Formats: sequence, C-alpha cells, structure tokens
Amino acid sequence: MRTSRILATLGDAHRNLGLVLALLAVMAGFSIAAPSFATTDNLFAILHAMGPSTLAATGMALVILTGKIDISIGSIAFLSASTGALLMEAGHSPLAGFAAILGLGAVLGAINGFLVAYLRINALIATLGTMMAYRGIGLIFTDARVIPLPETMRSVANATIGPVFIDTVAVVAIVAAIQVLHRSTSFGRSLSAVGNGEDIAARIGLNTRRTVFLTFTLAGLLAALAACSSFIQVGSVSGFLGKGLEFNAIAIAVVGGISLAGGRGTIVPGVLIGAAAFQMISNGLNQVNADPYIYQLVTGAVIFVAMYMDAFKRAPVR
Amino acid sequence: MKSHLIFATAAIGLILSGHAHAEEKTIGLSWNSKENEIVGKWEEYLQSEAARQGKEAGLEFRFVINVADNDPTRQAANIEDLINQGVDLIIARGEDSAAIGSSIRAAKRSEIPFITFDHGSTSVQPDAHVSGDSYNQAKSTAEAFVALMKEKGVEGQCIELQGALKDVNAVNRSKAWHEVTENSGVVTTLQSVPTEWNPEIFRSGTVNAFRANPNANCLFLGSDFAISAVRSALESMDKWAPAGDPKHVYIATQDLFPEAVKAMEDGYIDVGTTFDAYEHAKEAIRVAITLIGGGDPECAPEGCLAAGRIATPANIATLENLWSRQ
Repeated sequence: MRTSRILATLGDAHRNLGLVLALLAVMAGFSIAAPSFATTDNLFAILHAMGPSTLAATGMALVILTGKIDISIGSIAFLSASTGALLMEAGHSPLAGFAAILGLGAVLGAINGFLVAYLRINALIATLGTMMAYRGIGLIFTDARVIPLPETMRSVANATIGPVFIDTVAVVAIVAAIQVLHRSTSFGRSLSAVGNGEDIAARIGLNTRRTVFLTFTLAGLLAALAACSSFIQVGSVSGFLGKGLEFNAIAIAVVGGISLAGGRGTIVPGVLIGAAAFQMISNGLNQVNADPYIYQLVTGAVIFVAMYMDAFKRAPVR
Repeated sequence: MKSHLIFATAAIGLILSGHAHAEEKTIGLSWNSKENEIVGKWEEYLQSEAARQGKEAGLEFRFVINVADNDPTRQAANIEDLINQGVDLIIARGEDSAAIGSSIRAAKRSEIPFITFDHGSTSVQPDAHVSGDSYNQAKSTAEAFVALMKEKGVEGQCIELQGALKDVNAVNRSKAWHEVTENSGVVTTLQSVPTEWNPEIFRSGTVNAFRANPNANCLFLGSDFAISAVRSALESMDKWAPAGDPKHVYIATQDLFPEAVKAMEDGYIDVGTTFDAYEHAKEAIRVAITLIGGGDPECAPEGCLAAGRIATPANIATLENLWSRQ
C-alpha cells in the first residue's frame, strides 16, 4: 500500500517533469548570473517567502479539483487578518487574535460553500460577490489603516529552527496534512470525482454538496492561514493584504499542473512546484538586478506556457 | 439691560440670517479606492476645510461621495451619477489617468467644474489639478539624503524599493531619486526592486537585494507605508539598528505613515519628505471655491501642487499638521 503511494507520487512528479526540468534550467541560469542565488541561505529565503502563496494556492487547488473556483480568498485573508489584528490592537492576546483569524476564515469559506453547494449559485459569481463584500467589510472595520503586529510577536517573524524559519516548518506541515487528506481519505478522493463530473459522482452515491461545502470551508481556512503567515512576515495588516492573492493562487495551481477543468492534479508535488517556480523567478530576477519592467513579462510567460501545457495534455488524441 | 437684550437679539438674528443666506453647494467626490488610510484623512480634511473656507466665502458645502474599488469603468459610472445629480463641482482621484478623461469631458458638457486630485489626467485637461508633487517630494528627500551622506562622510550604496510601475507617483519618485543621486558622487543605486506596492515583496525584495549586494548600506523607499515589512527584512539580517549603531542601514523615504513616524523618532529612518494630506485638501477646497465662483485658481501649468516638508529625527516631533502623528 505504502509502495503504491510512493509510486503514485513519483508518477505525479513525472507528469510535472517538463516543468521541473525547466525550473532546473532557470535555476542553473540564475546561479551562473548571480553567485548569491545558489546558496543555502537563499534557498531558505525562497521557502520562507513562498509560504503565504503556497497556503493560498493549496486551498485554491482543492477548489479547482472539484471543478469550481474561489476568487474571494484574497478578501477572506484580508477580512480575517484585519479582524484578528484589531482584536490584538484592542489588547486581546495574540493567541486569541490568531484563533479569530482562523475561525473567521473558515466561517467565510463556509458561507461561500453554502452559496455554491446548497443555493446552487455559480462559484465564480458567488465568490465574486463575496470577494467585494468581504473586502468592503474589512475596509470598514479597519478604516484602511495599517495595523501593526504586536511587538511581542515580532520576533516570531524571523524565528528559526536551525536554518529553517518557523513559519516555513508550519507551512510544510500544513501542506503535508492536506496532501494526506487529498490522497488518503475518501473526502480527498471525492474531490477529483466531483471535479470529473458532479452528476456522475452523485449517482454513485457521493454526497457532492457536502464535498463542495467542505472544500470551500477548507479553502477559507487555508486563506486565513496564508493571512497569518503574511501578517507575521510583514509585521502589519494593510489594505493591500490579500490583494491579487486569488490570481496568484490560480496561477500557482495551474503552473503546478492542477487542471482548470477540475478532477486532475496534485498538491505535492504539483502546487509546491508551482509556488516554488514563481518565487524562484522573482528571487532570481532580484538577484540578477533585472529591469523592473521584465518581472510581469516573465510571470505572464510562465502562466501562458503552463496553460498551453494544460490544454495540450487535455487535447484529444487523433 | 434692555439695550443688552436688543443687542443680543440683533446679534442672534444676524448669525441666523447669515446661516440662512449661506449659499448651498454640492461637491461630488469620486475616489478610485479607499484601501489606503491617507484617503480617509483626505476625506476628513476636505470636509473640514470645506466647512471652514466655505464659511469665510459665504458657502455651505455638502458632499456626495462614491468609491470605485479600483475599477475605472465603475468610476466613470460613479462620476456620471454625480453629473446626473447636478453637483456643483467634481473632485476625482482617478484610477486610470487616461480613462478619467471621458469623465472630464462629460462634466465639461454639463458645465460642471472638474478637479483631478492626487492622480492627474493624461488625456483631457481638467479645470484644475491638485496634488502633492511626487517628483519634488523624492527630489527633496534625495537631496537631503545626499547632504547627510556628505556630512557623515559615508559612501551610500543603496537599494531602491520602487512602487507600482503603473503609478505615476511611483515613477516620478524613482526618476527624481535617480536624477539627484546619479550626479551626487556619494550615493549609488545598486539595485531597483519593483514592489507593486505589495508589502510581502517589500520584505522579500529587501532580503534578496541585500543578499545580492552584501555591501549595500542604504535604502530608498518609494513609500514608507510598508516600513514594517522592511523592518522585518532588516531584522532577519540583523541590520535593523538606529543611527549611530554600526549595523545601521541608512533609510530615505517618502510619505511618513504612522509607523514610519515612530521609526524616524527612534532613529531608524534618517530622512523623508511628508505627503501633506492636509495641505492637499486645503488647496483643493481653495481651488473649488474659486472655480465655483467662476474665477481662475491660478495653478502652475502642472497643476496646483502642494510641496512636502523634509522630516528628520531632529524635527519630526515639531512638524505641524502631520496627519500621521495625530
């Protein structure tokens, strides 16, 4: 059983082989151009910086696997982080603040899940509405102020275990847990089944509504975890938190091999490769002192290639 | 006693009649977004200045305010609503400097004066443009920073953290910084990092740039709203130290947001130029009253621009009307 799982993971890695090879080539290029790129410290810096987007993309990947989309995760991150930051600013303990962030994230995700699974509202429309509403509520709460992390928590941002940042360890543990959930539980397997055809999945006895509801709730929770990671790293919550996070998450998921049509893709290694690709490119361009206007061009090109590869894989064989 | 009563009654009557005769005017205020706390301050100052300057001019102002959530199309519709409501003047901070032109044209057709605020128009000339002077803001910061480096006898090897490249203010600030420092002989920009105004990139960009340039000893920030992210990055490299400490990284910045004010007071930021929300609002209302009265606000060709003030740890505590310290 265990061997078959390892073989499955290797199979998944094989499906991402093209991307992995391309990444290795990019890494080699950056390493030659900038001696500071291929260092252990820089590797850990890349892992650290990719934490928030990895968590958000993991939640997004689960939703996309069911054939849906959630474009409100950036607003969930913002509203939940704002609420937690305001609680801490009002004198509540950091523990209570972070618990509130996670709890609210799950609740906001559950609202999305209810709208999509039980009210049968199109996922794009439902989460477009909540994206605007959640951000609006967050801005009303904070009055668009920058709310700093309590001084007592600032040391956590750069705390390490050996050379590894603590929040990187947390991100690895969370992603590993989601991987187990996806590959080793009936809920995880039902995601792909729903993504491959909701009607068929319902006919074989799967509770598709419950699966979709729980997936959106989980995506909300992961968006809140991304918000915690960003809040700790950046040291404050501002109106910019979570802005564009949904599109970054979609890009990471797609580059990592999650099919936008649903039903196909992996968290490990898929999403991890996607997140690493974007962070590595951004880091490498920093290191080689690239023209500031080149960043968006390169990012766009990576997404385009990934989309093309996805379309190519899904194209019928003639 | 009787004469006192008559005097008091006459005085109250005069005050009441004065109120009764204050001409009512409506200002339509169109924000592109309200995701930055400075916008809330602008709104507050615009309303308080409208009340103060309006009273002096015999006008009573009412505001109709809408927000476009960064959507140029929605902002055009919002401004169309203001025109249909028959406002007497429009003040708009455009999301898109080209797209705002169609709204200016529509207001002109309805003979409603139009002021662009903070963000100008590149397509159609409004009746007036009121703003901070982003180019001069960075120029004064850069000049003060160069003077500081010369005074300290330090050769500045700087990393620049730019704002969003589509933001004209960010582009102007970067341009001014480079123009001043490249001819200074004491300050060199080793690397420019585009942040898209994203605090996470402020953090990772700072770490990456210092890794690529271990000899860097100074930072220029396009804005200090994300100073906590920069602080976090410098802390991770054991470089967050106040002036006088051998580990100190010199920081030149813009805007003076609340956290930056504290960092400057504590000696972590060396020089900055304020983004004077109060002066912008005061000038916008002066221009509005002039335009409503059919006069010429006498702006310079580039607009009615309010200059920022140089702030240093030495004067930060005494700068008046600093929005971020109130």
